[in-house]
Amino acid sequence: MVSTILRRLAHMLFVMVGISALVFLIFFATPGTDPAARIAGRNATPATLAAVRHEFGLDRPLPVQYVLMMDHLFITQNLTSFVNRGEKIVPEIVEAAPVTLSLVLGAGVVWAAFGVLVGLLAAAFKDTVIDRALMVFSLIGVSMPVFWLGEVVNLVTQSRLHDTLLFSWVPTLGYVPLTQDPFGWFKALVLPWITLAVLYIGIYGRVLRANLVEALQEDYVRTARAKGLSARAVLIRHALRCSMISFVTLFGLDFGALVGGGALLTEVVFGLQGVGALTFHALEDLDLPMIMATVIYASFFVVISNAVVDILYAVFDPRVRAR
Amino acid sequence: MRWNRSLLGTAAASLLLAAQAQAAPTGGHYGGTLKLVAAAAEGTADPGVNYTLKYWQLFPMIYDGLVTFEKAGGKAAFNIIPDLATSLPTPTDGGKTYVFHLRKGIKFSNGKEVMPSDVAYTFTRLFKVLNPNAGTWYNVIVGGDACVKTPKTCVLPGVVADDKAGTVTFHLVHPDSEFLDQLAVPFGSIVPAGTPEKDMGTTPIPGTGAYMIKSYDPNKGMVMVRNPHFKQWDAKAQPWGYPNEITYTFGPTATAQTTAVENGQYDWMFELIPSDRLNEVATKYPHQIHVSPLLAYWYLEMNVNMKPFSNLDARLAVNYAIDRGAMVKLYGGPVLATPSCQVLPPGMPGYQPYCPFTKNPGTKWSAPDMAKAKALMAKSGMIGQKVTVITQNVEPYSGLGDYVQSVLNQLGFKASVKKISPDIEFTYLQNTKNKVQIGVTDWYQDYPAPSDFLNVLYSCANFHPGSDTSINMPGFCDKSIDAMMQKAMTVSLTNLAAADKIWAAVDRKVTDLASTATMFNPKHVDFTSKRLGNFVFSGQIQFLPDLAWVK
Repeated sequence: MVSTILRRLAHMLFVMVGISALVFLIFFATPGTDPAARIAGRNATPATLAAVRHEFGLDRPLPVQYVLMMDHLFITQNLTSFVNRGEKIVPEIVEAAPVTLSLVLGAGVVWAAFGVLVGLLAAAFKDTVIDRALMVFSLIGVSMPVFWLGEVVNLVTQSRLHDTLLFSWVPTLGYVPLTQDPFGWFKALVLPWITLAVLYIGIYGRVLRANLVEALQEDYVRTARAKGLSARAVLIRHALRCSMISFVTLFGLDFGALVGGGALLTEVVFGLQGVGALTFHALEDLDLPMIMATVIYASFFVVISNAVVDILYAVFDPRVRAR
Repeated sequence: MRWNRSLLGTAAASLLLAAQAQAAPTGGHYGGTLKLVAAAAEGTADPGVNYTLKYWQLFPMIYDGLVTFEKAGGKAAFNIIPDLATSLPTPTDGGKTYVFHLRKGIKFSNGKEVMPSDVAYTFTRLFKVLNPNAGTWYNVIVGGDACVKTPKTCVLPGVVADDKAGTVTFHLVHPDSEFLDQLAVPFGSIVPAGTPEKDMGTTPIPGTGAYMIKSYDPNKGMVMVRNPHFKQWDAKAQPWGYPNEITYTFGPTATAQTTAVENGQYDWMFELIPSDRLNEVATKYPHQIHVSPLLAYWYLEMNVNMKPFSNLDARLAVNYAIDRGAMVKLYGGPVLATPSCQVLPPGMPGYQPYCPFTKNPGTKWSAPDMAKAKALMAKSGMIGQKVTVITQNVEPYSGLGDYVQSVLNQLGFKASVKKISPDIEFTYLQNTKNKVQIGVTDWYQDYPAPSDFLNVLYSCANFHPGSDTSINMPGFCDKSIDAMMQKAMTVSLTNLAAADKIWAAVDRKVTDLASTATMFNPKHVDFTSKRLGNFVFSGQIQFLPDLAWVK
């Protein structure tokens, strides 16, 4: 077990170094991105440009710059933005993480609950109108891009129907810290939660339905039925339990990716200043230190969630453990 | 209408204030929180370094220079008036020496009184923090060039402070007609001696303005509150603002901002209203929309050192062929822009209407002259040449790029268009290594001087091959025009009217040589909340938040 975890950690480190080196190289290979020119301003003389380049260490060889940036990011933790100078990257991400976490946790609860519900109902009423309708709705949910859905939600709740009784409670777009105003936190996030969850409810509902339908034909289910258990007990206690394995796996992976900044579009559309929004603005401004930090942060969560899922596999399924 | 009323309001307020120049005024329109919103922060809060429109709009109410632009709408916005200095000095020593007398009793927001030594410190600091224009503007101060070379050891013998006499003397290397402009922009903000000689980033530096930055977090927002040590000395230079607090939120997209201003959740948005929302806003909230002219122009830059636009006839053909009316439509319609053929925008000193590239050449553009364009093309021998148009992948640039492509194809070029991120296009166009032939770009004034357009964008000195900062994008270099511009700058020291005439001639010559094709002059649209009153638009600073009423 210990060796497995160590191997995983080594993998993780390798992936993160690889990704960060790649991002670094792509940045410098892109024309028009010279950070010194951006810092120096639109009418700077070559002398000022050279001074800025030297001051920021941009005149040094790329490998040295890379190592220095990693040192500032991980060891001294005083890496600052190229664009919003003085903005310390690490504290900014630490501060943005709760926003993203609040968004993704809430959405996770919503999509897990509704995903299970949709999957169960569809499987229980397989091949009926209910099943068909749920699957069609799931497909629609999967097909709607989250940034479009978010804009429509905003259009309805913030603009067209904002002054009606239905949506007058909807607060100004933005994040309210949980510690400052729990109810305000909830109100600010409930629509983003639903918007982000719609896609996943669709996917998870469909996946769970397929797994349940498969499981209902397994021998152990027949045995359970033969024992005289009710249809509901068979479905929930026996079939669902086994079908949840792939559901949980999927959840782990998606959750990790979203916490890592994958909820970028939702954050931008709803004006939530989380890690995704930081990434978005950093990409817009070509803010290399921030891009590096958020990319490493994201890959960390993706790699971690992969590792957790692998371990969970072993816990759930003895066959994996034996290997 | 609106403009007159606002001026009256300011005048009345300043009378009122003369009587009670102690604590911040209360009652009336004073008080409340003005809420501004933008999609993102835009860099350091250090006035010696930040070179963005977004913060140049805020700095004038937080900091003061020795001189400043009058805080007013209309033409007055371009007047340079004394601010921390008691009066505008008349240069002596053939235009090379300026002596400023400092007002007494003005304090920074940290309680320290402003002394001439603070002024001297500020200007040395500009070089040490690598001010973007240290080498283009402030190196005119004696010792400046050495400071640009070795900023760390910068001493600036050209600025002499006398704390006893209360004077600051500037010695220049040569006369500079724009020296006062360059002192009046936010780079000239006086900061306390002892302010660390590095870019202070998100840490606010004390200033002398009516407001001070209380907090700044680029991922969240900025809060400005009243400076407790502020006492109004001149309402035109630095008035008591009306709001007690000004908040700036960063995050929402332009669409979300529009909705939020409609709802009254914010009072003003930085981003332009998205074009698909313009109609809705204009019809539903006509009284909350403010359209103001800008000293700016949008243009096509053509690389004069590379085929096919190294050929004058090919460049002229483009100028005759483009339908500037269609381009105005792509930008948002005739309310938002006016077609133009020349470099200088209307309202700029030296501006004389001039349009050779139209059906009936004269002062105004009326219609494209395709026949003439085609004849020029035939003469140029460039038919069949491949051309790539570089533009941004966002509107209106994207549409303008497509349009230019279609015109070039009509002319006989084999044109394609490459749309790139707005974040890199501006620097991408500048670097000769990228071999750009023609690109869509724009320029907005730093201060109202013709040289800020002609000299900056078309002088040989501002062409730096192989660099991402080479603002003379076409690589245009004409020694005789350079000499004319030098002459205009010298003449303007003594005779502004005569200088303006030279600038007008330069404008015509540069236009005739067609290294660029001007498309139009844009106007600025502000969208404010229902409760916001006294909207004042300064052509220099744009919307003045401190003069707005939220009560």
